[in-house]
Amino acid sequence: MQVTIQTFIGGLSLGAIYALVAMGFSLVYRTMGLVNFAHGNVVMIGAYFASTFYLSAELPFALAMVIALVVTGLIGIVIERVLRPLENKDFDLMLIGTIGFGIVLEALAIIIWGATGRAVPSPVPGAPLDVFGIRIRTYDLVVLAIAAAATAVLVLFLQRTKRGAAMQAVAMDHQAATAVGIHVGRSNAIAFMIGAGLAALAGGLVGPLLYVSPAMGGTLGIKGFAAAILGGFGSIPGAILGGLAIGVLDSYAAGHFQGYSELVLFLVFTVIIMVRPTGIFGERTVNRA
Amino acid sequence: MRYRVGGIALLGIAAWLLPYQLDSYAIHVVNVMLLYALLAVGLGLAMGIAGQINLAQVAFFGVGAYVTAILTTKSGWGFWTAAVVAVLAAAAVGLLVGLPALRMQSHYLGIVTLGLALAFTNWVTNSQLAGGAEGITGIPRPELPGVDLSSEYLFYYVELVVFAVALAFGIFVVRTPLGRRMRAMRDDALAAGAVGVEVPMLRMTAFLLASVYGGLAGVLYAGLIRYVAPETFSIANMFLLLAMVIIGGRQSLVGCVVGAISLALVRELLVDYPTYAQVAYGTVVVLTVVFAPTGLAGLPTRVAARLRRRGAATAGSLRPFQPYEEGPAPEGGDLLAVTALSKHFRGVKALQDVTLTVPTGQIRGIVGPNGSGKTTLFNVVSGFYKPTAGRVVIAGRDLTNARPYRLAQAGIARTFQNLRLFAALTVRENVLVALDRTRTLSSWRYALWQVGVWRHDRALRQQADAILERFGLTDFADNLPGALPYGIQRRVEVARAMAAAPRLLLLDEPAAGLNGEEVRQLAEIVRSIRGAGVTVVVIEHNMGLVMSLCDRVTVFANGRIIADGTPAEVAVQPDVVEAYLGDSTVIEVPKEVTI
Repeated sequence: MQVTIQTFIGGLSLGAIYALVAMGFSLVYRTMGLVNFAHGNVVMIGAYFASTFYLSAELPFALAMVIALVVTGLIGIVIERVLRPLENKDFDLMLIGTIGFGIVLEALAIIIWGATGRAVPSPVPGAPLDVFGIRIRTYDLVVLAIAAAATAVLVLFLQRTKRGAAMQAVAMDHQAATAVGIHVGRSNAIAFMIGAGLAALAGGLVGPLLYVSPAMGGTLGIKGFAAAILGGFGSIPGAILGGLAIGVLDSYAAGHFQGYSELVLFLVFTVIIMVRPTGIFGERTVNRA
Repeated sequence: MRYRVGGIALLGIAAWLLPYQLDSYAIHVVNVMLLYALLAVGLGLAMGIAGQINLAQVAFFGVGAYVTAILTTKSGWGFWTAAVVAVLAAAAVGLLVGLPALRMQSHYLGIVTLGLALAFTNWVTNSQLAGGAEGITGIPRPELPGVDLSSEYLFYYVELVVFAVALAFGIFVVRTPLGRRMRAMRDDALAAGAVGVEVPMLRMTAFLLASVYGGLAGVLYAGLIRYVAPETFSIANMFLLLAMVIIGGRQSLVGCVVGAISLALVRELLVDYPTYAQVAYGTVVVLTVVFAPTGLAGLPTRVAARLRRRGAATAGSLRPFQPYEEGPAPEGGDLLAVTALSKHFRGVKALQDVTLTVPTGQIRGIVGPNGSGKTTLFNVVSGFYKPTAGRVVIAGRDLTNARPYRLAQAGIARTFQNLRLFAALTVRENVLVALDRTRTLSSWRYALWQVGVWRHDRALRQQADAILERFGLTDFADNLPGALPYGIQRRVEVARAMAAAPRLLLLDEPAAGLNGEEVRQLAEIVRSIRGAGVTVVVIEHNMGLVMSLCDRVTVFANGRIIADGTPAEVAVQPDVVEAYLGDSTVIEVPKEVTI
């Protein structure tokens, strides 16, 4: 029992990261129907920028994160601008285009930072807390708190601000949104920027949890995407739930199947998604394919 | 044609003589390149031809290679027996990976196949059986009587033969009924189902083909390198393969080969700068999808189209319709019987308790305001929606809940309100898809009796030309439908529906967007179709057409039938006038896509 709870707690912090990645996917998807396969690589770039400024420039962790956010936001804008001609037209081509971006980003990371990864020390020193015999790392709590805060800010933005409402409108019907005077292109660019910002946040936070390497983008992206689909693609609550679910599943799989954890994780994911393709919260934008 | 045969012969000779020009390193590069080309053809068949996003091609490749390696080194099997089992294993894995395609498409399928590919790499990296991260060494060299295959020069010929046969087979599939159905499914899966294409079976076939090509490449890889390790089957290589197919042009198998060879060459040139090569091909992929979605293979047609636009367009003309011969007087009985049918979308009751019978040989009009459930009725009858309650009986057979393709095979054909022609198929091919009644299961003939397939295709083409002639479309046979005027596209859709030789034809607003003369021709065509013994149900807003064409009219409002009778009877009923004709004075707003 204790082991089970310990595994569960361990899965939550990575789960929160997956949830952030999944939210980025979902936000971009529902505003413009674009599935950004480069998202994982943007996470990786974010992780590198945050860790570089934190380790080499010895800036405070929070400041390093802000720089990473700005850089990835710019990358997001570039991707959106280049692929804009395909928006709302060809799903599959857009998907492949973002894979192309992913390939480029990964190669650039290798050129800049080298193929070998780096370990990032935890910015929060201190021994793990002990709650009823279960050990909780302080950094895990920080991750969960920041992820929760980011989610709250995002939800407030979407629901309480004019710009957020405009983005919701674009998500529901981009033609009608244009008709009432919303600049759809700008709205999409902002969505992409926020998506990329979430990626940087996830990347910066995951640095001390995992090993930062150019290849981390692929795995993180795929797991985050799986989380988004599991929760129901395009749904923010779905992304959070899906992210935590994948994190916990990942943690159990790692505990019980050691090296085979990815094999088990993806098999389970495939089965779940075949039984319920719309995920837990269903797809907001119904795809009548 | 003669040039083409000559070109192929020249290419063949060049390929045969190639090893004499190469040193031992170059021949190795060429051998690896051929394997990529083989993989790319398989991926092109699944992605470009059948439209199934398959990011697990590299895993099929891996299964082929690993099974060969394990069986030869651990179980001591001979290379060729192991090879056969390996290809079968890859095919089985392909079918398993394809299963999710039955439930999801597009990006969902992309992530699931990618996840499964990762699962495969994860397994081989950890499994004792697969040698872990070090992989398996010491695969015995394949033996052929009298040929020393440890020589890469001679192995080249084995690869060349396999590749040539595989490519020729792939092209044969694309150009004959199976590939045509796949392309139709890629362009519009719904419309493909409506003309009788067995969409689920075809999706599996696409994965089967892709995995067999992958398995073959894997076997050859094991024989060539005689060493397998996980990194060969990594996601990075999957994306490289994807880049080859996209840059070459996924909808053309030759394009896939060109893409594979050129990218492999570029990679070889930049072998000392692999990351810069990666930046380069990633960039080219992005540029390709934005500026040249059809890839290298599509460039000649794009250039030609641009040149032609400058010159005079040589458009043909729509010829008059040649009526069908009068069929025998229809037997009595009801062809379509809908009983107590309801369809609810969450809270919206699109159809409520609809009961309707259409006798054989009738032209039935269905009218009603927008949103009154007319198209929903068609969608339920043709199998796109499952009804919430009620039954659909066609010619005495209960076909409630049947799949669209089953219904099409049972004799229902339909057209769509917003035209759903297969955009990348010519007008002739659009008709051919509907004409073709072969089942996917009979595709075994592709493996064993190609002559039969070819003969069948030739017979179909003759029938298609006869249908195009009848509908006056001969001049447009080789055009893509999107380039034709709207009125002609409408007629193509009717011709496609009739090519399936239906007993029941459902026309959804066939006169929408047609001018007066075209409406008159449409009425003539529909009467002739009925004369040939086909029962017709037509949804239409053009009341003049309904009044003159239909034997009987059913009026819908708010998902219910509010009147039913001859056109003259219905037109004077007060509630009909109120519900429908009264409404029609309001200008209709074009609807969003309803299906």
